[in-house]
Amino acid sequence: MIDYESTICPYCGCGCGINLVIKDGKIIGQEPWKEHPVNEGTNCPKGRNAYQFLNSEDRLKKPLVRKDGELKETTWDNALDTITDKLKDVKPERFGLLASGKNTNEDAYVLQKFARVVMGTNNIEYCGRLCHSPTASGLGPTVGSGVMPTSELDIETSDCIILAGVNIKENFPMLAMRVIRAKKKGATVIVIDPRKNATARYLGDIHLQLKSGTDVAVLNVMMKIILDQGLEDTAFIESRTTGIEELREHLSSLEMEEMESISKVPVDKLEEAALRFAEAERGCIIFNQGVNQQVTGTDNVKAVASLALITGQYGKPGTGVCPTRGQINGEGVGEMGCLTVFYPGFKRVSEEVAHEFGEIWGVKDLPSEPGYTYIKMLYETDILYIVGTNPMMSAPDVNNVRKALEDKDLLIVQDIFLTETAELADVVLPAATWVEREGVHAYVDRRVQKINKIVDAPGDAKPDWIITCMLAEKMGYKEYFDYTSSSEILDEIGRAFPAYAGIDYQRLEENPGGLLWPCPNKDHPGTETFFTEKFNTPDGLGHLQVVHHKPPAEAPDNDYPYVLTTGRSIFHYHTGSMSRRTPRLDKEEPKAFVQINPSVASERGIKDKDMITLKSRRGSIRIKARITNDVQEGLLFVPFHFAEACANVLTNPELDPNSGMPEYKICAVKLEVK
Amino acid sequence: MSAEMYLAKASDENMCEKGEDGGAVTSLLRYLLENGIVGAVLTIKARNGNRYDGVPTLIDDPEDLTDTAGSLHCTTPNIARFAREYLEEISEKKIAVVCKPCDARAIIELAKREQLNRDDLTLIGLNCTGSISPVTAKKMMKDEFYVEPSEVIKEDIDEGFLTITFKDGNTKTKELKELEENGYGRRENCRRCNINIPRMADIACGKWGAEEDEDMTFIEICSDKGSDLINSAIEGGYIQIQKPSTQNIRTREEKNNAEIGRANEQRKIDFGPIEALDIRERLNYWVEEFNKCIKCYGCRDACPLCYCEECILEPNREFIGIGRIPPDTLFPLTRLSHIADSCVNCGQCEEVCPMDLPLSKLFSFLNDRLSEMFDYTPGENMDDTPPLASFHENEINIEDTILDVTSLSIEKSKEN
Repeated sequence: MIDYESTICPYCGCGCGINLVIKDGKIIGQEPWKEHPVNEGTNCPKGRNAYQFLNSEDRLKKPLVRKDGELKETTWDNALDTITDKLKDVKPERFGLLASGKNTNEDAYVLQKFARVVMGTNNIEYCGRLCHSPTASGLGPTVGSGVMPTSELDIETSDCIILAGVNIKENFPMLAMRVIRAKKKGATVIVIDPRKNATARYLGDIHLQLKSGTDVAVLNVMMKIILDQGLEDTAFIESRTTGIEELREHLSSLEMEEMESISKVPVDKLEEAALRFAEAERGCIIFNQGVNQQVTGTDNVKAVASLALITGQYGKPGTGVCPTRGQINGEGVGEMGCLTVFYPGFKRVSEEVAHEFGEIWGVKDLPSEPGYTYIKMLYETDILYIVGTNPMMSAPDVNNVRKALEDKDLLIVQDIFLTETAELADVVLPAATWVEREGVHAYVDRRVQKINKIVDAPGDAKPDWIITCMLAEKMGYKEYFDYTSSSEILDEIGRAFPAYAGIDYQRLEENPGGLLWPCPNKDHPGTETFFTEKFNTPDGLGHLQVVHHKPPAEAPDNDYPYVLTTGRSIFHYHTGSMSRRTPRLDKEEPKAFVQINPSVASERGIKDKDMITLKSRRGSIRIKARITNDVQEGLLFVPFHFAEACANVLTNPELDPNSGMPEYKICAVKLEVK
Repeated sequence: MSAEMYLAKASDENMCEKGEDGGAVTSLLRYLLENGIVGAVLTIKARNGNRYDGVPTLIDDPEDLTDTAGSLHCTTPNIARFAREYLEEISEKKIAVVCKPCDARAIIELAKREQLNRDDLTLIGLNCTGSISPVTAKKMMKDEFYVEPSEVIKEDIDEGFLTITFKDGNTKTKELKELEENGYGRRENCRRCNINIPRMADIACGKWGAEEDEDMTFIEICSDKGSDLINSAIEGGYIQIQKPSTQNIRTREEKNNAEIGRANEQRKIDFGPIEALDIRERLNYWVEEFNKCIKCYGCRDACPLCYCEECILEPNREFIGIGRIPPDTLFPLTRLSHIADSCVNCGQCEEVCPMDLPLSKLFSFLNDRLSEMFDYTPGENMDDTPPLASFHENEINIEDTILDVTSLSIEKSKEN
């Protein structure tokens, strides 16, 4: 009559369990799933309202093709024919595919296979490029792998936790729950963030309120203090790392006063933080976009990792450098190879790896050179196939993104709503999402969990992998995409990525909370703690990195005197396509706002809730002022959820040369008050 | 009123085997369904046979009842909320609800507020000495009993001890106090619970007083409906009964009193340090806790008694500020003022709080005081009016201030 069906929340990468209440194939409510080890029956505001967006009336139900300038409903056959007509003629390097952190592993695997096998290109990327590419490019050379090295549950066993550029209370509340539990046992929480946000106010014991873009200066000083005072973990450095001499030499050349004048964080505060972390039995550094989304993102991550290495904070539960994951499958879609530099399983694109996958897939001449990264792909391709991602909201410098997308010979958008990006498409394909299809996701701590199909997708909408297989068939590649179920795809993934070989649907269904990869065989219990004996680098050692402070790409000046930083609210999700269609969440935070320091507001005659104009060199938005001490005087903050005041109209598309990450966190703006 | 009491077991040998303590409860439910007295039974089942994953389930086919036989101690489903939220989704009106004391009390409080019709419900009460949150329970099995959680086929709480039975028939017993000091064991609200026999239900069933014969359940009749049920089920050949001895009755009462004693002792331990704070410190203690809130509404949604369709705390009501965490202190204080007089100490609010706020402690602490002042025990009796809806002459003379909100100060200091 009425059943509770368990599933995993569709929002961030924490991977919380929930029960959906089902009657006659419809979701009528949501109840806690208390046995789930990640959240134990609790949820954040988004998780408590997980399913409403599914029933939104404007879900895409039929394929759309643009005719006479307008998107018109059509059949799958016609839509796919329209696509294949053009796809058959395009040169491999002029085609690009953008996947989504919302895809299942099975979807993502099929999407990258489509790009590589059918289109012959490595032009395959996903939104992970805009969240965690510096994690990969920073942690890769340092420890060999950009994954969370501990189980998220074990964060509560840490006795010193650094939260670097992560507003964990708002964006990863279930990790905040672990931090709260650690604090109850006496842990110290150090927050590194230019904003005095909810995390800094209500979770932090020490707040290092740095000037935006000075992370390296802060981290270098912390390391310098530790080495100067002899608080490093000598045994760990000796046995498990390399490069200490170069690092020591570099740090000894730094002037404390100069660093302090760059970061504006008093040295005594840095000292207190450094000492607490160095002395911790188990310390971890949880970091996110504040560290990543800068032109120095890779350097920032390297510095974070070096700090953990010199203090020996690796190899035990609740230790290590822990990147968070904003999307349900932000981790997994990267693992599946939706990055131009990686085949599945993080195998770096090369002749040898192309050959290896040629063997697995039974094809020849797979692409062996990397293609374009996400942002470049927006501009450098003639045909773009965008699956479940919304660059018209999420890419920097949206006005120019619009021009690039309007210029395409063919723009295909596959999504669940007519997003700001889909509005520009030539063909729109309606996708099934979340509990409308079956598949697995990898969550923040390499936790692989399964989502079951519980309800039907609306209209003709289909799972992403099925759509891509249909397209592959139309392109004449049926034999390589002849899957009859998503579980067949997972089996193939296990062959391509041995860390998944022990994971199958049955095991996942029997284990609430899933399995943490590496899980190399069917009897393996999964791996909670990574790097216990050695790192993933070729020599197994942690490589200490020398990094220098560099200024941001666009510093404030007389014309544009304020620094704009962007981020998220607890009540919304990314580009708003799901959370703004969820009444409870939308009513909580219905309009865009800019946080302004009270003294700036009074100087400029701005009252709370006034509409003002924010301008950068790339565009302007009208937005409501919110006056708060969360931001320092020179800093403004705008969340990027709101289409009508899109923060990314303003942001700087300048990229971190090592990772292709845009500098979302820092650009120069001015205020106009009228 | 001298209560009617029986020792009962299923007449059907098969049911007697499968059910706990002689299968009397399952047989009574079967009687209710097969004879159309109720259209459905609302009870808990172990989803996919998993004892740590109990979910409310509605059963209209008597054959399905055997899946729900036996008690589950390591799961904490919210049956009163289910009754309030989802029963109107089904066409059956007459429902039997299998409930612990806190479930039964919540249902009665809801019935007082006309959210459920008490006449449509047959409440089959089960004695309870507490339950364990599933994640804690599974950890406890591994860390304290050295057993894989899936190896456990039965748990039993008796006289302050937890006994678990393994698949191979062996058992292991540990003292609850010790387990709880180590961070395992029952939920905190359960440790403080002093209502173990659900006399507010139509019948109260349990093993206390029936220890001599493992195949028997001790049943106390608590209402005319309960009396009719038992008599008709005997007539219909569903259960067999015998009269309990004086010793049986005394044993039951002694065990109950011992549990009440332990609960009251726990209240002193938990509430003592808060009572020791002066009024201002006490408020600061709570506000520090409230400041952890992320406004998920989990407590409100889990509370079986929070029934308003248009809750004043919703963002569209413009009663409290929107878009910020923590929310105004008015958020928890409003819930407190609306519910504390009727709180049944079910612990659901605290269990679903992602920031580990000690909500159940707060509500119980306040409810203890209100109960005393107004001589009102929530969910005990349909005819008692909740303090919030009644007036008591003594109120004028109450000088004790439980929370003096005029001393709200730390929130402001945090803002700057």
